[in-house]
Amino acid sequence: MLGAMNEAPARVKLALAVSLATFAVMLVAGPVLGQDGSGGDTGVSLFQAILVGLGYYLSNSPWLVGNGAFFGIYRPLVAGFLVGIILGDPVEGAKIGAAINILYLGFISAGGSIPADPSVAGWVGTALAMGGGLDANSAIALGVAVGTLGTFVFFTRMSVDATFAHWADARAEEGDIGGVARMNVIPPQIFLFIISFIPATVAVYLGAPVVENAINWLGTNAPWVLHGLQIAGGILPAIGIAMNMKFIFRGSVIPYFFLGYIMAVASGGGLNILMIGIIGVALSFLHVTLLGNGSGPSGRQAAGGGAATSVGTTASAEGM
Amino acid sequence: MATDKPPVELTRGDVMGAFWRWTFFSHSNYNYERLQGTAFAHMMTPVIRRLYTDPEEIKAALRRHLVFFNTEPNVGSVIHGAVIAMEEQRANGADIDDDGINSVKSGLMGPLAGVGDTITQGTIIPILLSIGIGMAQAGNILGPILYFVLMMIIMTGLTYFMFIQGYTRGRTGVTEILRSGLMDRVITGAGVLGNIVLGALTAQFVAIYIAPSIYINELRFNFQETLDDVMPGLVPLLFTILTWWLLAKKGVNPILLLVVYLLIALVGAVPFFGPAGQCGSSIFNAFYACPPPEASSFLVR
Repeated sequence: MLGAMNEAPARVKLALAVSLATFAVMLVAGPVLGQDGSGGDTGVSLFQAILVGLGYYLSNSPWLVGNGAFFGIYRPLVAGFLVGIILGDPVEGAKIGAAINILYLGFISAGGSIPADPSVAGWVGTALAMGGGLDANSAIALGVAVGTLGTFVFFTRMSVDATFAHWADARAEEGDIGGVARMNVIPPQIFLFIISFIPATVAVYLGAPVVENAINWLGTNAPWVLHGLQIAGGILPAIGIAMNMKFIFRGSVIPYFFLGYIMAVASGGGLNILMIGIIGVALSFLHVTLLGNGSGPSGRQAAGGGAATSVGTTASAEGM
Repeated sequence: MATDKPPVELTRGDVMGAFWRWTFFSHSNYNYERLQGTAFAHMMTPVIRRLYTDPEEIKAALRRHLVFFNTEPNVGSVIHGAVIAMEEQRANGADIDDDGINSVKSGLMGPLAGVGDTITQGTIIPILLSIGIGMAQAGNILGPILYFVLMMIIMTGLTYFMFIQGYTRGRTGVTEILRSGLMDRVITGAGVLGNIVLGALTAQFVAIYIAPSIYINELRFNFQETLDDVMPGLVPLLFTILTWWLLAKKGVNPILLLVVYLLIALVGAVPFFGPAGQCGSSIFNAFYACPPPEASSFLVR
């Protein structure tokens, strides 16, 4: 981890070079492809692609909407809806975003790492699916592919941003309070804008016609591939759910998973997720009240208790 | 430390200023070296500005809060409140050294990250998302809107509550909460709710249909119908448990699993049961119409 600090300056130059090159390619390629009629005539104009890229950048940074970023526009459900507004069909956008989001239901970012990038799957994935004319179920597989590639943005940013922590150190040595605050915001946000906005915009603008052509070709020559994508839409959500189960499917609460499953299957959709959630709240009160807390999903409890005790010792030693 | 100075008190504006800075900039400069370190210092800026006037004290305070820090940003904000309270006491002459403040931050950030991730990312968000997804899939654009509004109210309210609890109770109060077992009960309760909802989501979203039928003379045995006779939805349930087992117990890389599952889906769509191009089904999909089987044939389609 600390190695990133030493490599950061070189990484900054590399990342800047890559971004500038991407930008140059976009400037040249955009108009050229546009003349061929293969860019911009699929319902995704350059302006719309820029809005999608902007949304993707904002979703990675809470400065505009606070909790509405990571818990809001970072989620494909919301991102898809907004892409739908940008592309002129909010209902279809919300459907596609919702389908893609199923895969990221269990998305947990912990300890400075992400297993995938739901946001790029939501923003770019939905835009490509709508531009290419894919239905919601098939869009899941496309979203997965884009979302996996998108982790590149996160890891680049995590490496390079360490540099700005040192810039903040330098401001602190000057006693410059405002400078420390600015170093936390301005340089990392400019960098994030470059590495998130540009690739997303380019991917949407140039990618939509490619996706559309690919779908058309497959529809005539190998329709089973499109069926395969739809089937994947039913299989892949198991991964999203299992990722969440990794955190909570343990200890004395395991039986409740099966209870929830049986409630949903047996009621045949008669109990929706909100009703089942309310039953769940009731049962969790019962469980905690009747059985105590001894044996829940206890992976971190031992560590928590230990740390709390040691802090408590420190506190009492200091006569608080 | 100087006890002859007049007491300095934080105003409500200072504390709220710190709260909003944290809410909006907690991950602005997220990085491998310090994680939320610079964001913590940014959050402290209105507090430092109010409490310290001596340039050396300001530098020391900024340095103190620029160190490595990482926790769950919503539930974990109880740490921030407690640290602000400690800085206020320190500026007024209480015997709290750098180690005291650092031990609170580094001692609490781990446990609260675990508790917080279980409560927010592990339970609240999946439940709200699944409600929104369910509505959106039915073509109702209120799904994403309702999700966003509910999420904002709950998450911002939760963060504010924890932050202010930390500030008013101070570190002893936070330590007491952690030691009282309240957090363990909350995690267990969240685990019950989370598991029920995940189980329901599995039923709602994981779909596998095993299409082929076996014909013995004119008797038709369809795999899916036979399995449904055992228990409806048995296959998705077993498949999800298998996926959990692979990820959690076998440590399989989720991206590798994504690729494998995608390949399984594609292979499962190849129409190789029945005469090619005319009729038949694939493993997971029946999409060509087949004529009724001839007598005394043994077919898989």
